[in-house]
Amino acid sequence: MKLFDPHIHMTSRTTDDYQAMAAAGIAAVVEPAFWVGQPRTHVGTFEDYFLSLLGWERFRASQFGIRHFCTLALNPKEANSARLADDVVALLRRYLDKDGVVAVGEIGYDDQTPAEERIFAAQIELAREFELPILIHTPHRDKKRGTERTLALVKETKFPPALTLVDHNTEETLPLVLDSGCWAGHSIYPQTKMDEVRMVALVKQYGSERIIVNSAADWGVSDPLKVPKTAQGLREAGVDEAAIETICWSNPVRFFAQSGRLDLEAPLSIDQRRLWEGNSVLRGQTPRVD
Amino acid sequence: MTDWLEESLAEARRGEGPFIRRWNAAGRKLGASADDGRARLLRAALEVLPADEHVRLVEELYRTGELRERVALLKALPLLPAPERFVEVGVEAVRSNAVALIEAVACDNPYPGRHFSEEAFNQMVLKCLFNDLALGRIQGLPDRRTAELRRMVAAYASERRAAGRSVPDDAKLVLEEN
Repeated sequence: MKLFDPHIHMTSRTTDDYQAMAAAGIAAVVEPAFWVGQPRTHVGTFEDYFLSLLGWERFRASQFGIRHFCTLALNPKEANSARLADDVVALLRRYLDKDGVVAVGEIGYDDQTPAEERIFAAQIELAREFELPILIHTPHRDKKRGTERTLALVKETKFPPALTLVDHNTEETLPLVLDSGCWAGHSIYPQTKMDEVRMVALVKQYGSERIIVNSAADWGVSDPLKVPKTAQGLREAGVDEAAIETICWSNPVRFFAQSGRLDLEAPLSIDQRRLWEGNSVLRGQTPRVD
Repeated sequence: MTDWLEESLAEARRGEGPFIRRWNAAGRKLGASADDGRARLLRAALEVLPADEHVRLVEELYRTGELRERVALLKALPLLPAPERFVEVGVEAVRSNAVALIEAVACDNPYPGRHFSEEAFNQMVLKCLFNDLALGRIQGLPDRRTAELRRMVAAYASERRAAGRSVPDDAKLVLEEN
């Protein structure tokens, strides 16, 4: 079964991860622009980051047979950087039309400040203008209130729920998101957020419609194999194969295909002899050519 | 011509904002003919932009472009009005390590033969040798062979031989008299 990790920050991961992901069946990933751990102090840093998501990281993934797409946005945490926020939102206009951009994201609330709300709303309008879906991060602190405020803002702005993926859900937020008509993402993490056992219970209760799982793996303690591990957990719990495929492949494909830019058909031959900006991902190994 | 390109040419003449959106989308809209389409879009945009803004726009397109966009821009350079103004973009591309960018400038493109300085042209010939790009694809090479270029290529051939490596066959296009 082909698997899709619709939220993973590959820029922070190694080539070992890419190899293990491909071996476990992951055929496509979406990398949302996010908080890189270190606060950025110049708009130009964002520009180089966006360009690396559109170029270098896509090339690196392709070397392991994985299709790489991205979402671009100013993340909620850095929406509080008054000196940068408006300039980054303006910069996005330059990049949102480019090939490989399948949504505006991650946007949303972190501390749930007025500054975050203003930038969140501004980026919903960008998504409307550029005809893209939105990927929404929900806060880890005061999550239920943050999710309620998120859904209220989506409704107030009349952004279509079918084009909205609300991520990092828990037992307490999932029913709210499903009732709103939005898609519901779940980040399966080693300790925090959501785990495989709890995810199995949610699928048994709510089914597979508009349910999505991802690893949200990044520079912290996280696991880029959480989508295959969750698929296996669902299988062992007796969930039928069709439902597993819906959750781990078809749902993210249907959601991001609404961008009109999720090209899963173009030939993607693995040829590690290729160079990108002159840098090979290999360090003396024999290139793999399929 | 596709309806999309026709409509986009009109959009490009409306101003820089509408032009950028069409430029960015051209890859998925035009597929195999995207490079040609982008050249036409850029020419249309420059028609309505004051001449003293042209270099800024072209340099900005290069800086903010992903790889395919940059290739299209470099192939379009000889088709732009007063093309000698954009020589820095071409030289910068040859300075990169992306083979696709070097190739877009150096190969099957009259631009460097017409507009590069001797120093920049010679560096480009060397970059082609280093990256296995056939010198036969450099337009105008016979007219730009100088004593300095011959010296540089001969030194490269000597270095290769000293290291026990082969010398690309087409080095003779520079080294040998016609």
